[in-house]
Amino acid sequence: MRKEVEQGRPDGKDTWPEERLRGFQFRKIKRVLGHAYQELPFYRRRFDAAHLHPDSVKSFHDLARVPTFTKKEVLDEMKKKGTFRTGMETFNSADQAVLCMTSGTLGTSFLYLPKRWRSLRGDSLARAYWWGGLRAGMHMLMAAPAWHSLAVQESRVIERLGATCVIPWGTFLPRFAENFLTTLVDTRPDFVSMFLPMLYALLAECRRRRMEARLAFDSVQYLLIVGAPMTPRSREQLKEELGVRDIFEGLGNPEGLTAMECSFHRGHHIFADCCYVEIVDPKTGALLPAGKRGNVVITSLIPYGTLYLRYDSEDLGEILPHACECGRTWPLMEVYDRRTNTVEVAGKEIVPYDVRLCLDDFPELIGVPFAVVRGEKSAPYLKLLIQRPATGDPYGLGARLRALLRQRLQIDAREEWTEELPERWKGVAVIEEKDWGTPRV
Amino acid sequence: MRPFKQLLRYALGSPLLKKKFGGLATDIAGFKDFSVKIPLTTLEELVAEKMSSGDPYASRLCENGAALVTLQLEYDTETRLYIALSRQDLKRYAEALRRCWSLLGLGKGDGVAIFDYGTSPVSYLASSAFTPYLSQGAADALGCLPICNDGVANMSQRAVEILKFMRPQALFIRSDCLEPFSIESERQLGRLSGYTRALVVTENEGCLPKAEQDAYEKRLGLPVYRLLRIDAGMFLAMECPECRLFHSWKDLYYVESVTRAGDDVDEGGQNYLAITNWFARVCPAVRYLSQVKGSVYSAGCRRGPADIRIAA
Ligand SMILES: [Zn+2]
Ligand SMILES: [Zn+2]
Repeated sequence: MRKEVEQGRPDGKDTWPEERLRGFQFRKIKRVLGHAYQELPFYRRRFDAAHLHPDSVKSFHDLARVPTFTKKEVLDEMKKKGTFRTGMETFNSADQAVLCMTSGTLGTSFLYLPKRWRSLRGDSLARAYWWGGLRAGMHMLMAAPAWHSLAVQESRVIERLGATCVIPWGTFLPRFAENFLTTLVDTRPDFVSMFLPMLYALLAECRRRRMEARLAFDSVQYLLIVGAPMTPRSREQLKEELGVRDIFEGLGNPEGLTAMECSFHRGHHIFADCCYVEIVDPKTGALLPAGKRGNVVITSLIPYGTLYLRYDSEDLGEILPHACECGRTWPLMEVYDRRTNTVEVAGKEIVPYDVRLCLDDFPELIGVPFAVVRGEKSAPYLKLLIQRPATGDPYGLGARLRALLRQRLQIDAREEWTEELPERWKGVAVIEEKDWGTPRV
Repeated sequence: MRPFKQLLRYALGSPLLKKKFGGLATDIAGFKDFSVKIPLTTLEELVAEKMSSGDPYASRLCENGAALVTLQLEYDTETRLYIALSRQDLKRYAEALRRCWSLLGLGKGDGVAIFDYGTSPVSYLASSAFTPYLSQGAADALGCLPICNDGVANMSQRAVEILKFMRPQALFIRSDCLEPFSIESERQLGRLSGYTRALVVTENEGCLPKAEQDAYEKRLGLPVYRLLRIDAGMFLAMECPECRLFHSWKDLYYVESVTRAGDDVDEGGQNYLAITNWFARVCPAVRYLSQVKGSVYSAGCRRGPADIRIAA
C-alpha cells in the first residue's frame, strides 16, 4: 500500500548543492552542443558562421557565444525548405513520434517529438505535478489539445504518477467551457490542469448557470494553471472563490522551458534537469544578472527530436535574485509577458503585469479587466483603460492607484474608466492608441 | 456459444445491462438467438439513465473494470455522456483505428494529419503520446507520423500549413471542418492532390452523404473516403478504397442492421446499425442501437476477405 502512495515521488535533484547542479547542467549542455554540431545542419551552419566549435565552450559564460535565434528564423527556414524539417531535429522514420505545433502571431512551427523526448520531458514535468499535489489514484481533469506538446507530456505524467484522468469533449477554448464545467460536476476530479483563460471562462459559465464556483469545484483539491501570469492576490482570490487547497502556476513552452511554483509561491523554479535559462539584453544580447529583466533564452537539454538551443523566446522575464524558502536549489524565474507587450513610459519599460500587481492592491480592482494604451513613441505618462468596478467610487480609487503607480514604478499615470472593455480587447492588455481612437468590437 | 457467454458474463457487471437482461437466459445458441434474447440499448436510454441515476457513465460502468481514462462523448444530448476505458480497452480500440489506417494503405514512414479534436477517437487513438495508458496507437503500430490540428473549423488555415510543410499521405477531417478547409485550401494551395493523397471525412454517428462525397472528390481532385465512428459503442469502420463499403472486424465487433424496434432485416435493407463490442470491458456496449442508417453486406472484398462490410 505504501509503495502505491509513493508512486512517482521525484528524486532529490532539486535539492542538490548549487555546484553539483551546475556541473550536471554543464555536462548536459556540452552533450546537446556536440549533438547539435554533429547531427543538426541548422546549428552546424550557425556555429560555423560564428567560428565556434562546441569544444571551445568551456563554461556557462562561453555558451553565450552561441548565437541566439527567434521564431522568425525558424519560420523562414521552414519556408525556404518547404518542410517542417528545418535541420533542428534528429529525424528517424523508425521512431515512434508525433508532430506538434506552436502557434503564434508570426505563424506555426513544428516540433518533431519522438518517444524518448516524451519520456524525458514528461518525467521531468511529473515533478511539477507532484509539487502541485497530484498523486497515484487521484482523478485528474485534462484538456486534450493533441496539437500542443503539453498534452504529449501530460499523458506521460499521468502514467508516471499513476493517476486516472477525464477529458472533456472539445478543446481549451472558452466556447467549450460548458463541457468542461459539466465534466467537473459529473466526474468530480481531484486535480485540474488548465489554461488560465479557460478557468475564467469556467467561472463565467458558473455565473451563467447561477452555480456557485465552490460547488462546481467541490471535489477539486489542487489546480495547476498555465498560459498567463497570475498575481499573488488574484491567486488568493481564486483560491477563496473555488475553495481549493492551492493553485499552482506553471510556466513553459514547447521549445524547452519548464518552470513551476512550489507551495511557497515565490517564483517559478526552473526545471534544471531539462532546460537551461539565460536572460539577455534584447538590444546587445549580453547576459543579464539575476534581478534584471530581459529576453528569456532557452536551451533544451534533451538531445532528441527537435532541439532548441539558445532560443530567444522573446518573452520578457528575469531570474529572481532570491532563494526559495522551500530549500530547493533550482533557480527561480518569472516571465511577465511577451516582449512585444512592453510599453515605454518616461524612459521605463512597463508590462501590463506591473500594472496588474498595482491594481490588485485594491480589493475592488482584483481581476477587473484593464488595458494599457500604447502610443507610437515613448509617452511621458502611462495611459490606462480600466473597466469600471461594480462597487466603489472610481475617482477616489483612481487617485490612490496613481499614487501607488508613482511609488512602485516611479511613473505618472492617467486612467480612464469604461463601462466594459470591448470584446476584442478582453485579455489583450495592450491597446494601440490609434485603435483606441476608433474602437471596434 | 462461447463468445456470447463471455460477453454476457462481464457485461452483467454493468448495473444498467444487468437491469436490462440480467434475468434472461444467458445460454445463447447463436447470433440469431442473441438478437432475439438480448434487448437493444439506445442513446435515449443512456441519457435517461444518466439523468435519473446521476451516474456519469449511465450505470454502464462495470464494477470490476480497471477504468483509467474517461472521455466525455460528442453527443448533443440533454445531458453529457461518458465512457471509461482500461489499458486493454484502449489497446483494442486503437487496433480498430490501426486497421482503418491499414485499409487505406497507410504504412511505415507515412505522415498522417488529423483535423479533429484531441478528444475524438480518430485523434486520441492515433498515438500513445496523445493518451495516457495507451500502449500503442495506430501510428505507433504502423510506423506513421501523426499530427493533430484540433477540431475547430477556423483552424483551417493551420490545417493548410500542415499540408504545406508535412505533405501527409492522408488528412482525416471532421465533416464540419470540410467546407471551411476546402475553401482555405483552394485559396492557398490550388490543387490539393499536390499535398496529400486522400481525405477521410469522419463524424460521430453520421456519414457524409454519398452525393456530397462525390461532389467534394470532383471539386478537390482527390479521393474522399469516410470513416464511421459510433463513439458510445467504441466502434470504428473505414470505407474501403476498393469496394467502397465500410470494413469492420469480426473479432472486435458484431454489427447488426435492425429496425428501431429491433427486428432483423434482410441484406440490402436500410435500417440502423446496432453494435456489439467484443473488447470493451469497462463500459460494455451490447447491441447499442446507433443513429446510423446502414446495412450489413456479406464479406468478400479483396482488401479484407473476412472483414464485415457495411453500406451506410
Ligand atoms: Zn520553492
Ligand atoms: Zn473492400
